[in-house]
Amino acid sequence: MRRALLALGVLAIASAVVLPGAFGGASATPGVSARSVTIGGTFPLSGPASSYAPIPVGMKAYFSYVNATRGPDGRRGVNGRQIVFKVYDDGYNPANTVQRTRQLVEQDKVFALVGGLGTEPQEAVTAYLNQQKVPQVYVSTGATEWGAKHAEHPYTIGWQPDYQSEAAIYGRYIVRNLPNAKVGIIYQNDSYGKDYIAGLEGGLGAKKSQIVLTQGFEITDTSVTNQVLALRRAGVDTLMIFATPGKTIVTYITMAKIGWKPDNIFVNSVSATDAFMTAAVANAGAAEVNGSISVAYVKDPTNPSLNNDAGMKLYKSIMAKYAPAGVKVDDWLYIYGVAKAYTFVQALRAAGKNPTRASLLKAVFNMNDKSNRFLLPGMVTKTSPRDYFPISQQQLQRFNNGRWTLFGQLTDSRPKG
Amino acid sequence: MTEFFQYVVVGLANGGVYATLALSLVLIHRATGIVNFAQGEMGMFATFIAWSLITHHGLPYWGAFFLTLLIAFLGGVAVHQVVIRPLGRGGAITVVMATIALLIILNGLAGWIWAPAVKIFESPFPLKVLDVGGVVMNVQDLGVIGVSLACVVLVFLFFRFTRLGLMMRASAVGPATSRLLGIRVSLMLSIGWGLASMLSAVSGMMAAPIVQLDPNFMLLILTYSFAAAVLGGIDSPVGSVVGALLIGIGISLLSGYASSFLGTELQLPVALAVLLVVLVVRPAGLFGQVVVRRV
Amino acid sequence: MSLPSPGLLPRAAVLIAVPVLVVFLPKVQDDFLNYRFAFVGIYLIAIVGLNVVTGYSGQISIGHGAFIAFGAYTTAILVSNYDVGTYWTIPIAGILTGIFGLLFGLPALRLSGVYLALATFGLAISIVLVAKRFESFTGGGQGKQIDLPSSPIGGVSTNAWLSYLIWAVAAVMFGAAWLMLRGRLGRAFRAVRDAPIAAVSSGVNLAWYKTLAFGIAAAYAGVAGSLLAISIAFVNPDTFPISLSILLLTGVVVGGLGSLQGMLLGALFIEFVPKWAENLSKHLHYNEGTVQPSVIYGLILLAVLFVIPGGAAGLLSQSAAALNRARRWLYSRADSRATA
Repeated sequence: MRRALLALGVLAIASAVVLPGAFGGASATPGVSARSVTIGGTFPLSGPASSYAPIPVGMKAYFSYVNATRGPDGRRGVNGRQIVFKVYDDGYNPANTVQRTRQLVEQDKVFALVGGLGTEPQEAVTAYLNQQKVPQVYVSTGATEWGAKHAEHPYTIGWQPDYQSEAAIYGRYIVRNLPNAKVGIIYQNDSYGKDYIAGLEGGLGAKKSQIVLTQGFEITDTSVTNQVLALRRAGVDTLMIFATPGKTIVTYITMAKIGWKPDNIFVNSVSATDAFMTAAVANAGAAEVNGSISVAYVKDPTNPSLNNDAGMKLYKSIMAKYAPAGVKVDDWLYIYGVAKAYTFVQALRAAGKNPTRASLLKAVFNMNDKSNRFLLPGMVTKTSPRDYFPISQQQLQRFNNGRWTLFGQLTDSRPKG
Repeated sequence: MTEFFQYVVVGLANGGVYATLALSLVLIHRATGIVNFAQGEMGMFATFIAWSLITHHGLPYWGAFFLTLLIAFLGGVAVHQVVIRPLGRGGAITVVMATIALLIILNGLAGWIWAPAVKIFESPFPLKVLDVGGVVMNVQDLGVIGVSLACVVLVFLFFRFTRLGLMMRASAVGPATSRLLGIRVSLMLSIGWGLASMLSAVSGMMAAPIVQLDPNFMLLILTYSFAAAVLGGIDSPVGSVVGALLIGIGISLLSGYASSFLGTELQLPVALAVLLVVLVVRPAGLFGQVVVRRV
Repeated sequence: MSLPSPGLLPRAAVLIAVPVLVVFLPKVQDDFLNYRFAFVGIYLIAIVGLNVVTGYSGQISIGHGAFIAFGAYTTAILVSNYDVGTYWTIPIAGILTGIFGLLFGLPALRLSGVYLALATFGLAISIVLVAKRFESFTGGGQGKQIDLPSSPIGGVSTNAWLSYLIWAVAAVMFGAAWLMLRGRLGRAFRAVRDAPIAAVSSGVNLAWYKTLAFGIAAAYAGVAGSLLAISIAFVNPDTFPISLSILLLTGVVVGGLGSLQGMLLGALFIEFVPKWAENLSKHLHYNEGTVQPSVIYGLILLAVLFVIPGGAAGLLSQSAAALNRARRWLYSRADSRATA
């Protein structure tokens, strides 16, 4: 009797799955129909990296705005097609990323993968996507390889300025303005932290010897006190913090706890958003955090001088109308998502009235767009056969009394030529 | 030598962060014989409630603190009555699985209600640097250690000198006999869960200013607290706090003296390996009672 | 007046043949389902092994992901660093991981209950950190890529090939477990779990069997890990978080501790339900756009624990017993009417 039940149960499940699955006729270009374009992406919506979950929310809000608004051709959406954005959770686990990405390609038959988050998760699917000739565009990570390894992965491209060029900007600033500084680095021991260090060394060039001590830590460490003490003991007066937000805040607090304030603090841009700096100030005191330097490339929603800026007003109105209720628009990750979605829409428009994957890639790799109002003024999103870094301009900013203030000029780390 | 003492002091501060949670794990195990994997998440949830009371309802810190303790107590009692007690019949692994399910639910629920972004939760202790003979420490860290010690003293006094404590001890050790004596055993066990829940709330509120408040902040601490509780002897309250401080000091010494050799990756595995060795030598932990079963 | 209970062979045949049949049925409309079924197969192998150590011999292991990681890294390293043929690494990974499990089982002998739980938990956390350390060997945090899987048989899709391969291995390993456990080995394991004192009096060497249980469980997990590495073509420390160990334990408990039959349903549960929960949570109102499928998944898990504490196998027993009772009642009614 038991076996019969088990057999029946299994057969029931089997028939449920063997029955006709995906509907929709086969189209010449997957994901593109007369009325819609379907794209997808995997993001850590749950688990330890879930603080990045606002990114796809921002992207979706912008796509909804485009779907509802008549474009220059008088039609809603892009060339009359609504953008459908399928978002799946991978929990930052590459095994999940692979499964969900395959699902997007083979079951949901998306046109392209857009904005996937995480260096290693996206690395895990790059070979597959390139083999299947599916565009993997504007991945949400600053690893340098997305632009540097184009020949190996012609279907893949990043979006944001990469970590190495960011750190190189810090390096060049130190060489120019702090020639006698004793530089110390506290870094997360993974590709993120190490990419930053490589960039800093590149920017320092011949003055690499200014780095007197580096101290790493693991995500699984609950404290960095010993590392900070060692940096102080080594006489460091210029500290680079290359860590994800949680540990960045902990570093500031730890410095306050031992009563140490280096003359200069450089903090990586991912951790330098208003939310994290405010938390750092609340727990470590403003004195510890004031004067910290970072870079920016996306407009800052908490900057009061942008209150009448057209791009900022548009951003806030899009979020108010198309994002779920209760969203905190001050969170920089939302405007990051909106800015990225803007770039994709530009590429999709340029891909023509009947976009194919080839025409999308052509648009992505031959872009010269100055119209992205969510990025800093004067920024251009540009790619060419010798330049696979869409956004490579950044500007230094300094934190004081709860506000970031841009200084200096927009620096371009674009490969020359 | 100053360096050595500095590492010890840093280790004590770190250990103080997981001591109270370790204590709550011990309490649960003494009461109901299982490890509550959801203990950290219950503390996290309570900390979010405290945050909400302070930020959205304008309560002063200590008002929110004690109100949260009350809510945590009731929550612990409820969890025991609604989830743990009915499942007790299923066996130890079923109950452990249930605590894991609770962990999953609470983690998701916190992210759902309050969003995963980092929240600001301040410490009640001032940020004041102390320099004792070249060794640097901070009043905030001393405060956290002090709170852990106060908790273990209170727990000790409670179990040793109060009638309720005696009844709870009896219920844990001999439930059948206790019932014969008129003790409402299941109520006693629920109160045990309530107390443990209060302790995990304290743990969360002490840890949040240090490691920052988000739905995942207690998961890592749970790992260390679990190790500390086992090291000290899973049934010994004093052992759990001692275990936590020892682990904190141990890891600090490793990171100070052996970091170039081990690198950052191996500090935790080495600490766990040492723990394993200690357990193989003393299977009941440092302060635990060995139950002799010659088999 | 009860029906004769069917012999062993028909039972085994149904349990192995039916799923294998299902797998080989061509999924005309949806090739991706083959990929999902491949994962069901991987999980099945893993939780059969976990059931041996936790269900049958009663030693709680909440860090089983460690052995999966070991097997997966073995395959990745052998293929990538030493050019070993991909499919040869499957048995190698199984054997090496089994030895690793035996070695772990030895010190674990002194531990039981919560102490063993901590040791296995610690192992799962440590193994990925150790892998991260030896970067030249394991690729460190960046991990290792191996060639994408591809079907060597013309006309058969890659997904289908993976599914056939994995289920062929799963059928063999399931059958092996069945044979192992129904005999002396199974009785010894159960004795270790339920009545250790009596077992020793009967001459059962507790230490040996406890260690063996770990070795077997590890070997199964090693094979599962190897197949996982082949299917994903990528391994790194993030691929084996503690949630993997918890997922496997969930599969065993939902399938039914100490019972092999339920393992298939346990594997189906852990592959399909989390994603179904994610789908469901998207349709519900969510705050600030963050989908929280864990709440739904956790509630389902809790419900399963409440309603069917014996897992799927328990449910099958209960419903079989209920149906038997109903049948007997019917027959007795028929009898009484005949005589009346």
